[in-house]
Amino acid sequence: MNMIALTVNQRAVQALAEPRTNLADFVRDKLDLTGTHLGCEHGVCGACTVLLDGEPARSCITYAVACEGAEVTTIEGLDEDNITTELRAAFTREHALQCGYCTPGMLVSARDLVLRLPHADERLIRVGLSGNLCRCTGYVGIVRAVRSVIEARRARDIAPTPDGGRKILGPVGSGRSDADRAERMRSVGSEQTSPETASSVSAIPDFVPATVLNQHFSVAHPPEQVFAMFDDIAAIAACLPGASLTAPPKPERVEGAIRVRIGPIAATFQGAARVERSLADMSGRIVGIGNDRRSRSSTQGEIRYRLVPIEQGTRVDLSIGYTLTGMLAQVGRPGLVRDLAARLIAEFASNLDRRLSGTSPGDATAAELNGMALVFSLLRARVAGWVGRFASSKDGAT
Amino acid sequence: MKPAPFGYERPRDLQAALAVLGEAKTSAKIIAGGQSLGPMLNLRLVEPQLIVDITGLAELKQVERRGDELVLGACVTHADVEDGRIPDVTRGAMQRVAGNIAYRAVRNRGTVGGSLSHADPAADWVSALSALGARLTLRSGAGARMVAMEHFIVGALESALRDGEIVETIHVPAMRASAHWGYAKSCRKTGEFAHAIGAILIDPSAASARVVIGAIDSAPIVITNAAELFGGRIAGDYKDRFDARVADVMLATAGVSNAAHRHIHVNVLKRAVREAAA
Repeated sequence: MNMIALTVNQRAVQALAEPRTNLADFVRDKLDLTGTHLGCEHGVCGACTVLLDGEPARSCITYAVACEGAEVTTIEGLDEDNITTELRAAFTREHALQCGYCTPGMLVSARDLVLRLPHADERLIRVGLSGNLCRCTGYVGIVRAVRSVIEARRARDIAPTPDGGRKILGPVGSGRSDADRAERMRSVGSEQTSPETASSVSAIPDFVPATVLNQHFSVAHPPEQVFAMFDDIAAIAACLPGASLTAPPKPERVEGAIRVRIGPIAATFQGAARVERSLADMSGRIVGIGNDRRSRSSTQGEIRYRLVPIEQGTRVDLSIGYTLTGMLAQVGRPGLVRDLAARLIAEFASNLDRRLSGTSPGDATAAELNGMALVFSLLRARVAGWVGRFASSKDGAT
Repeated sequence: MKPAPFGYERPRDLQAALAVLGEAKTSAKIIAGGQSLGPMLNLRLVEPQLIVDITGLAELKQVERRGDELVLGACVTHADVEDGRIPDVTRGAMQRVAGNIAYRAVRNRGTVGGSLSHADPAADWVSALSALGARLTLRSGAGARMVAMEHFIVGALESALRDGEIVETIHVPAMRASAHWGYAKSCRKTGEFAHAIGAILIDPSAASARVVIGAIDSAPIVITNAAELFGGRIAGDYKDRFDARVADVMLATAGVSNAAHRHIHVNVLKRAVREAAA
């Protein structure tokens, strides 16, 4: 906990909060200013919008500790504000609210538009309000209300302030802390949590993948040699970046984990897989299932491979299918997974090539192609994470 | 959701910040405006043990005109650019890009350096600054190095930043009077991350053009000498010479396998070219 001192609605306040406490929770829980609402808690819905140093900001993705010394104005602090008073009357007149949940944030954003927009331009008002979601009104009344206030004020020769009155550079709310008070709150427990045992995954069912990616790579060794190598699960696992085995592998059950990073996002899927092979056409299939404890996400994955002789060795055709459920699945983009998969496969291929040539691919005791399936899901996971906000399935991979 | 607990440091100057990052044996993350990192923390997609807040560092909130370029501190915000609180060396190009990033409440805190460090392929500055030919100074305790934008973004959310290194300044070359600029993006909802971005800086009198196809799922396609997109020659009639097929092949080569998505990207780029020629 940390003592945070700032100004809220023109009153100097001090309260203890953890670094992870966002500004919205700070004003609601510590100061009982519950007019600030939290909707999505990741910066999309706009319900939590407050004024920070006089400018609108998202209080759900702004941490209170970062606002040391700042001036915060919540909806409660706008009771006497001229623009907001006019807006309240206009919202009432135009039926610009129904349930009222979005209204505090809506009023803060609307106030900013009234202050800054030169004219009551409907398009600019709509664009300006696009970061505040309302599920009741259809926005018509809200836009009308804002337009009427802008028109009325400009008619009274009140000039706009296009820059909102800000004269200094940098994020609003920042840099106001006492210069001598460099904050230092070292924490926190170790990041590593005890790995979930793969044995918690009992059965490895078949499934129909939601997404399928096709990839291939080549190695400079004959198919027979590559196929034999693919039978050595531990060796294959060692070639796969981020993979590790948690138990001695058998074809019918390979237990392991795969850790993948996309930028700052990391997930570790613990799980199990089984391996099937067909010597006749030099193909195989790995089916796996796994969970990432942290994001409470699950994945099922399948890799089908087929070795094709080419002039300089072997081309390995991969078909990677996966289904992801849980938090990471809410926001996913197969295209990002493909980007990551391509990079992983390139690394895997070069490790494999090196190992086939008799040099070690480095350290790594790792999982297997099974892991690979998991990896991809994982990939996707991270990816997904990334998109944190509003993903859509973009570059559909089929 | 609420973030997992993290430690927090607000160093008093850049040197102290670099020292903290250099000695961090735990997982440390730099936060500036937090408009990208905040959502990831709240969703617990990222769980650093330590957050280093650089928004208090005056060194990173400065802007200076140095010869033929503008040098922006990493913590200059999108709204700072939008509102013209920094000098304009791109004849309004950066200002227009800034004004269309996300929402005003986000622009008031989100920083240029933070957005670049986050390396989201769909972020506006990633594409716009690549097209403008910007370079970045990256600093660590060991010293500084300069990297061109097109080498800075490595992949989705992957930048060339090493451990303990931060984006210190962004160097934007002044746009020549003879150059044309076009920037277009496609968003299904205003303010969301773009599904396609096209950017072009073209100077017919110098027969030079930089073109960026962005918001693909990996690093943007940066074409520093874009003559092939215009039938091999860049001249005043470039709008009519734009060859959509070449752009389509570039996208396919970059791994955009879905023809409909390539079509959107190509057309967004075409819009950027038309805007430049307008």
